[in-house]
Amino acid sequence: MKEQPVRTKVANRRSTVGRILLEAMLVAVIGGIFALAANRISPRGLALTRNYFPAETNSVVQVAVNLTSLRTASGQNPAPPMPGDMLAAQMKQQGLQLVDGPQSVQLFHDSHLKPGVIFVDARDDLQYRQGHIPGAYQFDPYRPEGYFPTVLPVCQAAERIVVYCNGGNCGDSETAALLLKDVGISNRKIFVYAGGITDWTNNHQQVEIGERNSGNLSIAIP
Amino acid sequence: MTNDHPIRTTAAVINLFTVLARWLLGAAFLYLGLTKALHPVDFLKLMHQYDLTQNALLLNFIAALLPWFEIFCGLFLLAGVAVRGTALTLAAMLVPFTLLVFHRAQLLHAAQNIPFCAVKFDCGCGTGEEFICRKLLENFLLTALSIWLLVGRGRQFCACYSLFGR
Repeated sequence: MKEQPVRTKVANRRSTVGRILLEAMLVAVIGGIFALAANRISPRGLALTRNYFPAETNSVVQVAVNLTSLRTASGQNPAPPMPGDMLAAQMKQQGLQLVDGPQSVQLFHDSHLKPGVIFVDARDDLQYRQGHIPGAYQFDPYRPEGYFPTVLPVCQAAERIVVYCNGGNCGDSETAALLLKDVGISNRKIFVYAGGITDWTNNHQQVEIGERNSGNLSIAIP
Repeated sequence: MTNDHPIRTTAAVINLFTVLARWLLGAAFLYLGLTKALHPVDFLKLMHQYDLTQNALLLNFIAALLPWFEIFCGLFLLAGVAVRGTALTLAAMLVPFTLLVFHRAQLLHAAQNIPFCAVKFDCGCGTGEEFICRKLLENFLLTALSIWLLVGRGRQFCACYSLFGR
């Protein structure tokens, strides 16, 4: 006599679980369609078919692990690698040339004497406007279409191109350099300033605020 | 009759707690989704650091759709639509993502030689740089709330609690 209600309870529970699973699948499908449409409509949406990372790169974490293992294997003290070390190691793997702070400052002063040296800022619009190396061209590697018409002819004509981003863990200068390489700019004239704008301002160099050649110079990013 | 009153009070408190949990979870996912959807490139870069896949298309799909999907789920929970299905979907997303965050924290912990709870990084969760232990606790709470919603209590203020009746 008592078995019947127990069976009914179990059956009810199973049907509830089934309904929840079905509902979850329906939510996932409708949510997926909503997300696709929203990404398509959004002006900031991603282009689904574009490869935003042109070369196979190890993540900064993986490089850090590799560096630590190398130091341990060579009997060195496995001190934590600095973010700059990690990025430098990663870029060397890509065959990119690096420049440090003093070299970048030298190149910047050379650019006034020799117009063949240009600086390329690989950060987004907001960061660029907040302060960039004076005269640097903006080239956001994640939205390159808008920048190619200006940047490409200048890069083709230049003898040395110094690409930078924020410095530290920022990999955008590397992405931008690889993108320039992919569109036919010789990597022999591309230099990555790994310290980036952080190192530049730490060295008390002037930054330009707003548009390129705005003339609004400052010693620090406001 | 006299014993019935405390039971009803307890049920009412549980229902109220469940409604608040639903709104809290909905608001949290709406906020987390919006912060990512407004800066999709930043989110894409953070996802790339996880080395989830070398397939650019798959990576783009995850980075482009996940924030909007979170917004969608957040709105459903706030409005009280398909509550248990949405909660199950969120729990199913939270568990693997938390494991990924934990794995990345372990890598950083090994690489930096610092105590595990001192590991701090931006996990792409929408809350910026955070200490790992705090992040794991947050994710645990969000998962617990999602699972709590599966129980089926607190059906007040719902536009359509279940898509399939009951």
